[in-house]
Parts: sequence; structure tokens; C-alpha cells
Amino acid sequence: MVDRRNFIKASVAGAVLPAAQLTQNTLASTSAEQVFPVLNIGTLAEVESQNVIEFSYPDSASPAILIRLEEAATGGIGPNNSIVAYSRLCTHKGCPVGYRPGRQLLICPCHWSTFDPARAGTMVIGQASQSLPQVMLRLDEDVIQAYGVTGLIYGRQTNII
Amino acid sequence: MTSVSLPPPNAERFDTVCQFCIVGCGYRVYRWPVGQDGDSSPLGNALGIDFRGQLPALQQWIAPAMQSTVTDSNGDRYNIAIIPDENCSVNQGLSSVRGGGLAQTLYSPDRATSDRLHTPLLRLNSGEKPIPWAEASDLGASVVKAVIDRWGPDAVGMKFFDHGGGGGGFENNWAVGRLFFSSIGTRTASIHNRPAYNSEVHAAADAGLVPLTNAYADARLSDTTLIVGANPYETQTNYFLAHMIPNISGASLSEKKQAFGVEPVDKGRIIFVDPRRTMSVASAEAAGGDRVLHLQIEPGTDIILLNAIARIILDKRWHDIGFIRRRAEWQTFEAYQRSSLSVDRLLATVVDEAAALTGVKSEKIYLAAEWIAAPKMGGFRRRTLLHYEKGLIWGVKNYENIASIVGLGLLTGNVGRPGTGISRLGGHQEAYVRPPYDGGRPARNVDEAVRRGEVKCYWVGGCNPILTTLNSRSMKQALIERTSLVQDAISHTEGKSTGVRVARIVDALKEGGMFLIGQDIYPTETTRLAQLVLPAAQWGEMNLTSINGERRLRLYPKFMDPPGVALPDWRIIAMFAKRLNQLYTKDRNPLMASKFLDYDWKTSEDVFIHARYQYDGSKNDSMEGYAGVTYNLLRQAGNEGIQTPTRLVNGTPVGTVRMHEGGSFYTRTGKARFIAAPRPWPSYGAKLERQKSKYRFWVNNGRANHIWQTLYHHQRIPYFWEHNPVPFIEMHPDDALELAISSGDLVKVSNDLGSVDAMAYLTMAVKRGHTFMLFGHPAGSVGDLVSDHVDPDTTIPYYKGVWADVKRIRAMPQWRERMSFLPRNIAT
Repeated sequence: MVDRRNFIKASVAGAVLPAAQLTQNTLASTSAEQVFPVLNIGTLAEVESQNVIEFSYPDSASPAILIRLEEAATGGIGPNNSIVAYSRLCTHKGCPVGYRPGRQLLICPCHWSTFDPARAGTMVIGQASQSLPQVMLRLDEDVIQAYGVTGLIYGRQTNII
Repeated sequence: MTSVSLPPPNAERFDTVCQFCIVGCGYRVYRWPVGQDGDSSPLGNALGIDFRGQLPALQQWIAPAMQSTVTDSNGDRYNIAIIPDENCSVNQGLSSVRGGGLAQTLYSPDRATSDRLHTPLLRLNSGEKPIPWAEASDLGASVVKAVIDRWGPDAVGMKFFDHGGGGGGFENNWAVGRLFFSSIGTRTASIHNRPAYNSEVHAAADAGLVPLTNAYADARLSDTTLIVGANPYETQTNYFLAHMIPNISGASLSEKKQAFGVEPVDKGRIIFVDPRRTMSVASAEAAGGDRVLHLQIEPGTDIILLNAIARIILDKRWHDIGFIRRRAEWQTFEAYQRSSLSVDRLLATVVDEAAALTGVKSEKIYLAAEWIAAPKMGGFRRRTLLHYEKGLIWGVKNYENIASIVGLGLLTGNVGRPGTGISRLGGHQEAYVRPPYDGGRPARNVDEAVRRGEVKCYWVGGCNPILTTLNSRSMKQALIERTSLVQDAISHTEGKSTGVRVARIVDALKEGGMFLIGQDIYPTETTRLAQLVLPAAQWGEMNLTSINGERRLRLYPKFMDPPGVALPDWRIIAMFAKRLNQLYTKDRNPLMASKFLDYDWKTSEDVFIHARYQYDGSKNDSMEGYAGVTYNLLRQAGNEGIQTPTRLVNGTPVGTVRMHEGGSFYTRTGKARFIAAPRPWPSYGAKLERQKSKYRFWVNNGRANHIWQTLYHHQRIPYFWEHNPVPFIEMHPDDALELAISSGDLVKVSNDLGSVDAMAYLTMAVKRGHTFMLFGHPAGSVGDLVSDHVDPDTTIPYYKGVWADVKRIRAMPQWRERMSFLPRNIAT
């Protein structure tokens, strides 16, 4: 887990997401600008050895998961654009989704909504009404940084609370 | 959207019920003026929730899809939030993917729903011309009158919604039925999804059963639930998630102990009879492990499977002889044993034959019999809940299909006590409220009457036969050819009086033309051919009432205005009826004029109360009688409503949790009847045997989780439309490999009746040689491939009986890029 010390205080330096990226994976089509912190999640070498890193973003109450997939992914970074990260809170009722490496699927244990981490968290089947919010990633040398979220995280009125 | 607006504490609140599937989940609607949002503190919003921190799981929340902005007819703009009701016993706070998007279905000039029909339209060769209601009803009623006068009432054909929920309800059904059956008196009637006005379950009614016998609580109490030809995770979602799953996971054990005392109880078991390994099977296994049994049958073999299971039960003496002696007609039981259960033949032979035909191993058939009927410890009878839906209804022989599951239920005494039932799972919600239909049985096939030219005026309301009938390509051709003659006549009478115009229309009708009236909320493939288009109000724009799959009657209130001058269907019907009364009066024909009286309803509740005279619990209203129920009572009952039928106790309506409990069955003797199948298996019939031998794939077809019916709403919600540009067709990967087909390829599905383009979706959910296709997509309907074969006893089509070839057209990289093709039946 990445703890709070790894958060960089960057409310000014944080990214303002363009509207176009926000509308891709939600049902509705309006957006609001939000300022996200920048978080160092880990290094490429760490992802290489673990494949999965759990962390919290944009704050400690919001569990997230970073995955290295076997294929190129929408919004992916690193080797073959295969590294992606998502909120772990299912957008149906907020249960924590789990990653099934063999199936390349994120599955919610409560009502079995499933999400595709290679396709921007789009729902494969299930009872949620939107994709799983994707954590936007970038590389600072070999450090993977989170700098935003597309879509609204379960159980929030705004992503930044 | 990265934020949602919160309703302020003073937001208007309405209890309502989802417009979509049979389950009828409770929802809460909040409405407040734009710019007057609440805030994140618990006292600052109507939910009383503290949005300043992260909410825990399984809590009330407003997802972005659950809200939208609407504009009332006076221009005022409101935010609307529609969230699942945690106090409704049906869904207990759960939303489905469909209900979670209710707010997206509302009319708005700013979204894709903006193309709602706003005003009546007259179609001319030069295009659509908006006309006022007075002109529309004058022309329409004049044509209807001319057709009745010249050709008789049966030349007026109708195809209308016959359901509850969105686009239906007691009020609208009553008005439509009254106009066509009582006033016009036509027998040329058909229901939204089939070519006749007939029950989908005649055999259940003949056995004395209502279609919806149980309460949803019974799915939490049963020892075993049998589900034949249904996929409840996707199409009866929250009945499955909130009631069936807690049973097999053990979450309802304490409830069972409390209900059954000394009777031994255990976690429930569930049996699926389905040619596909659906998400229902996968998620049930995730919750219930080896207490789930899946019988993956070959097409059309339900009858022989269910009768083989019944035969095993009979030979093991697990049947409920006490129930049969007391509550069934004995001579029908004897005929059933001989004919359906083949008691003159060896059990092993019967089961082996069933195994060979169904493709299900004998051991599994024996196991299913044990789970359904083997007595529990202490000799207690097993409580089994038997459910079925379109896999059986649209099956090889509708009448015997239904008879076989009803027979299995009666044999084991599984109706009318807690934890049991013999019921449809349902598609739409229901609202069987209309005057008697005098169409006989088997009912008249209206599609054929349209094609043969016998229908001169065809009035289609809230449905779209170009997508959802059998052999739909030929229906479309008939509609195009016959309406074009009339359209010419109308176009050549621009500016002339109604009298001249109607005379020219009648000339065109004599020449084989047909006047098509299309009444709907959106333009559809059918309204685009209609001479007269009538704009209807939808769910949320009018008050309506409906029952769900456990007969729970509730009020769905109006919370916004319809677009333009669109009206509730009952008001449109009343307007036409009144005009017909005037026209016949003017024509000095008081006899005919008198048939169009009593349409002076002022409010939807007037219609509701009017219909109640026929549904007061004393006539032919065994399931839907609502004696004593008023809107006021329903308002007070909120999303719990009251379960029909009701009876008056000291003047107060009391509902019915479970049907046939102690009471009698709806037969002349009051006893249930077994219905004997004339032969062990009816075969596919010569026509379909030919099709089957000619084409490689069985094209099973039906609904899917995230799409409602013909996508009339979902094609206007980007999240759904972007992922479903054409119908998907599921194929086994080994079959696809041989045809060089990959997931996401555009393929052509074709047979001797037509061809449809689809998107390949490779999955192990289907067996080799089987496929499964979404049934009613506007970009391609499986109806084009469905033969015109119907069960001669019921006029119900064998929609599932399609065989066709599949060919690759080309890869679609843009689909591959944005859509997921991961398997949709993985839960662990």
C-alpha cells in the first residue's frame, strides 16, 4: 500500500482534466473541472515484479489498484502501454472489485459486475450504470504517477472531497 | 461527469417503480429547480446523507447516470435524480443497469431523447406535416368509421402494448381494450410481441393456474428453485439478486427456520434449464457452489426433459399423492401419466431417450428429479419453486411446453404454499386490465390478415412489428407496399376537406392499400411508414398503475410534462372515441354512436376506477382484481403497494400474497387439471426440420442485461449505443475459428427468409453449433430470420426456432478498440 506520505502536495500543479477525456466512460456528458493531487505509486521495476499494486487515490479513503496487463490498454503507460489503474469501488454499490489475472477482469464480489481494465474500465456485464473510474497515470522517469480520475468514484458527490 | 447535483431538503419527492422489467423495483424521484442544488452536509440535502466523506458500500448514492435535467412545458428547468428505494421490499435499495439509468430516458431537448414525437404528424409524399390533434383525430376517426361501415369492424386491425410499466399500465390498457373490443368490436387484434391477441400461457390457464402464483419471498424460502428458459441475472435482475441469491448463499436460512419450525431447512438449491451457460448460472455458482445444477439442453427439448424428470419422480413415489387426490382432477392425472410420462414404457428407456434428445446426461436428469422432489429428513415434502419464461414460451410447441412445467409442479404439489409456485418469471410488468376479447382460440393471426389485405386500417401502438414479429421482412414489405398506395391518395388531396380526403383514401383501400396509424413515443421503423403519427406520453409524464411479477400493484406518478402536445395513450384513445361518437351521431346512426359512449374521463384515476368495475374480484379477474383500491390508497402504500387480487374486508382492500393458497383453482370443478401431451416430443415440424438440415447454426435469441427490448431508449443513451451499434451474436470459439471469425467482426447471419448483420462475440457460453443473438435491434432484427410457424393450438410463434449460416464480412477495428469482448458469464 502507498500511504499518505507519498502524496505530493500539488493542488496547483495537479492536472485539470479536459472535458473530452471525462465524457468517454460515463453515461452522462457534462463535466466539472477538478484539481487532483499527484501521487507516486511505484516504479516500473516494482510493477514488473508484482504485476499488481494496491494504493489509494485521490485520498486515503479511496482504494485503487494498479495492474500490468498482458496487452496494450486504453490509457495504459509503460511497456506496450500495458499499465493501468482503477478505483476499486464498484460503481454499482461500492464493494471492492478484485482483479483476476487469468481472466484480465475486475470482478465485484457483491453482485458480480465485471469491468475490462484494458478498455477504460468499461462494464463487461453487471448492474453498475457506468465504467469503473480510471486513474490517469504518467511516468516521471521510471516512477509511475497518478494525476487524475475519469468518472465519478462510488459514494462521492465529487472525486475530491 | 465528475460530480453530481444533490437534491435540496425541500426537493419534491415521488415514490415510483422502474419502467422496465417485470420485477418492478422501487425508485425515488427527486425534482428541484436548476440552480437550487442542496449541499454535501446531511442537513443540506434531501437524502440526509453526509457527502463530505467517502460513503460506505451498499449505501444510498446518486450515480451520475441517475440524474438529468428536464424542461417542463412552461420552460422551467429541473434537475431530476432517480435512485433505488432502500425501503422497497422488492429491490431493497438495489438498482439494475437498466433502472440505474432511468434518468437518462427522460425527454430533454439537450440529449438524444430530443427526437421524441412532439406533435401529431400527417405523412405526405413531400414528408411529415405537423397537424393539430383536432385534425388528426378527425381524419383518423373518419377513416376508422369508413372502414367499419364498408368492410366491418374486423377490417380495423390493432397491434398494441399489452403490459405494465413504461408504455402501458391499467389505465392505458383499459382505454385501448375498450375502444377496440367494446366499441369498434374488432377481432383483428394482436399484442406487442406476437401476431395475435392470445395468452402466452394458455396451458397454465387451462390447468386452472394464474400466470404469477408466488410471492418473491417464496424464492427466499424454497428448498429448490427450478428456472427453465430464463436468465434472471440479466432479465429479472433484482428478483434474482435480492431473493434467489440469498437463498442459495444461506442468507435467508433464519427466515426459513422462522417460517417452517421443526421442518428441516438448508441453503437452497437452484436448477437452470438453458442451452447457454449464462451469467445467471455463473453467478449462482459463485454464491451457491455445488448447489447449482445446469441442464444445458438442445433446442426445443424442454418437454421431453421435464416429462422425464416427472416420470422419475412418479416411479420413485416422490409425487404428492395427497395434493393430487384432494386438489386435482384425477382422470386428468391418469391421462397425464399415460401420455406425457409414458408409464407404459420402462423408466430407463424414457430417461435414455430424453438424455439422447436433450444432450443432458441421464445422471443429471435423475439428480434434478431428486432436487425437485426427494423428501427431506423426517419425510417433509421438499418445497420447490418452478419458474419459466421465454425459452419455454417461445419454444417448439407453446402449449405442451407450458403444460409440461405445470404438470411437474402439480405432480409435486408445489403451488399455493410458502416456498413454492408455478410462475412465469416475466418480461414486462403486467396490467391485464381490458374488456373481454371475442377473438376465439386459436386467435386470429393478424400478421397474415395484414399480408392478405384483410386489414384496411392498422393501428399500431407502443410497439414495432418491423422489428418484433416473425418473418418480419415480409411484414415490412407488406407495410411498405400497402401504405404507399394510401400515401399517394393523401398527398393528392392537400388542402381538400376531410370528406374528400377520406373518399380518396377509401379508394386506395379498395385497391389494396392500408391506412397505418402509428402511436408511439419515438419515431420508429413502423411510425416512419404510418400515414398518421400520434405522439404519446411516457413513464413519468402521466400517472399509471401496474403489477410486477408477484402481482404488486403500485402507482407510478407523473413527475414531468410530456414533450410538445404528446398525450397519455388513454387520452388519445378517448379523443378518437368521442370523435367517432360525433361522426356516427352526425351520420344519424345512433346504434353505432352509442358504442362510443362513456369516454369522458377527466383524470387517469377516472380510467382506473372505470376499469375496476370489471376487475372488482367477482368476474373473470382471478389475478388482477383490485376491489376497493384507489389512487389515494396506492399513494399511501408507496412502493410496497398492494398485491392483487384484493378483496374487501370490512370495506378495506386486503391483498393476496400467494395464489391458490387453500383456495381453489380456476376450473369448472375448482380442481387443477393435468394437461396430457399427445406425444412424448412434438418434433420441430417439417418446415423447420428442412431449415435445420440446411443451415449450420441454431440461432437462439432473446434479451440481454443492458438493453431493454428494441433499444427504443437505449439507442439514445450513448453508453449503451456505443457498445451496441448492431446486435451481438454469441458463437463458440471453435466454430468461429473454422470460419475465420474473431470477436468484434461484422458477420452476416442468413437463411432462406432473410439476412441480418451482427457483431461476433466469441464465448464458451454457447455450445458448438449454437449461437445466441440479441433479438430486436433496430440495426438488424432476428425477426427477419424467424419462420412464420406458430403453435396451431395457441398462435404463439417458435421465435427461438431459427437456423442460419454465419459468414464473416470484415473486421471492425473501431469496435475492437472501444468495446470489451471479455466473457460475460464469469463471476469468480
